Amino acid sequence: MRAFNAELSKLFSLPGIWLAFLIGAFAPAVIAALDSIAQKEEIIAGLSTRLSEVGYIGLGLGVQGVIILGVLAVSSEYLAESSESGGGQQITTSLTVVSSRIHFLLAKAGAVTVISILLSVVAIMTTVSATHLVLGEYTPAFEWPKLLGAVCYWAFTALLAFGITVLTKHGMIPLAVLIINTSFVSFSFLLSKVTKLALYLPDRAGFEMFMFLSNRFLTPFKGGLVMFAWVVVLFIAAAIVFHRRDVAS
Amino acid sequence: MSFPSSKKITRILGAELDKLVTLPSIWITLTGTFILNLLLAASFTSVGLQGTAGTQSILSIGLASMRYLQAGFIILGILATCSEYNGGQIRTTLTTIPWRGIQLSTKHFALAIIIIPAAFIIAASGVLYTFTMMKDTAVVIEIDTMIKTLLGATGYLTCTTLLSAAIGALFRRTTPALVVLLGYYFVVSPLTRDFPTIRKYFPDTAGSYMYMPPSPNEINVLTPMQGTGISMLWTLIFITVAIVLFRKRDA
Repeated sequence: MRAFNAELSKLFSLPGIWLAFLIGAFAPAVIAALDSIAQKEEIIAGLSTRLSEVGYIGLGLGVQGVIILGVLAVSSEYLAESSESGGGQQITTSLTVVSSRIHFLLAKAGAVTVISILLSVVAIMTTVSATHLVLGEYTPAFEWPKLLGAVCYWAFTALLAFGITVLTKHGMIPLAVLIINTSFVSFSFLLSKVTKLALYLPDRAGFEMFMFLSNRFLTPFKGGLVMFAWVVVLFIAAAIVFHRRDVAS
Repeated sequence: MSFPSSKKITRILGAELDKLVTLPSIWITLTGTFILNLLLAASFTSVGLQGTAGTQSILSIGLASMRYLQAGFIILGILATCSEYNGGQIRTTLTTIPWRGIQLSTKHFALAIIIIPAAFIIAASGVLYTFTMMKDTAVVIEIDTMIKTLLGATGYLTCTTLLSAAIGALFRRTTPALVVLLGYYFVVSPLTRDFPTIRKYFPDTAGSYMYMPPSPNEINVLTPMQGTGISMLWTLIFITVAIVLFRKRDA
């Protein structure tokens, strides 16, 4: 528990974390608002084919905030200080204080999960109010199971980012790959055109939890399960690698 | 402070080139981008082969990976300027080259020297792959259109890299610069597709007209030359802002 508190305090004092909070809280709302403005007329006329996606598209594409959170949580530990102040890495201090590596990793993952869940709740509030602001009485009702799916999607995405960064130790590659993958030109979407297996990739499966895709593949629950399986596999891999790796290397 | 002579500028350029060439992450990023581009070209080609034969041009399929490809070049640009701030290298740099404006503009110039051939090779490899795979099915194109498009693509990637380098110099930290640029290029910019009147003047959209093959059913709002001009203007504006701030700020 004390390790968990320490991880929370470390996360909140990171220099880049304000960016994660800012993007996490407002990017979904902005995306949802832009999308709603674009198809407002169609919705009012009752012609929209994407009525069930209104608002959720913001929550689906606006996960950059938690990606930054998950990546920064790990990459900040490995960031070397400048040579003028000793060139040390925070990870050596962290592991001196919490000597069990598994405990350290679990505490960190716990802190990331808690913050990303809180962030997703904030994001849902801003997104729902932004959609209401734009569409007024035409806003489709937001259902609790789907919102819960969105929360799970955010938490799982943060943990995926966390796990990948533990493996790479450097923030740039996971950040670039994951941010591109959340965008309109995602790799998994491209791959899903090549092979049906790509629909089992974590983000495609996670989408099924709260988005009604035109060609549905998995049920929301199964989608969540597939994404959770990815998270678990990645976390186990990260734990094994982290357990065996020399920190200084 | 006295203005450095032309001989000194050559030496500064040499030093900046040296620093970029010896940065290991530059080579890792370039190799990674090259491999990734081939993989993407392969998947786009296989999607194209599934489609109706004879309707798509090799160029538009070969360059379809450009959207992803630019991410690698954005990373390159950020690495080039932010690596100075990783540790205290910038102080050593400024001790030996005490002309800040010249130092930063030479850095951009040195970056362009490395990027132009790299961008050309990477863009050409994607098109070449598509060409070898699809030469039986797709529409044949003349060689001069191909070269013109490839030059446009090279120019676009170079502009993107230099713009990213300028943004990197503004933020001085890798993560925020990367997040802002990737967020703009991959999330914000596609979102504004519903507002085409302003969007065509954005750096990435204007730049994309440099290599986009003109399609008959879509009105190309900018000519390649206009696109080049606007995209270069954006790059120059950002470089200027970066240089002005670099001269004012505490390193």
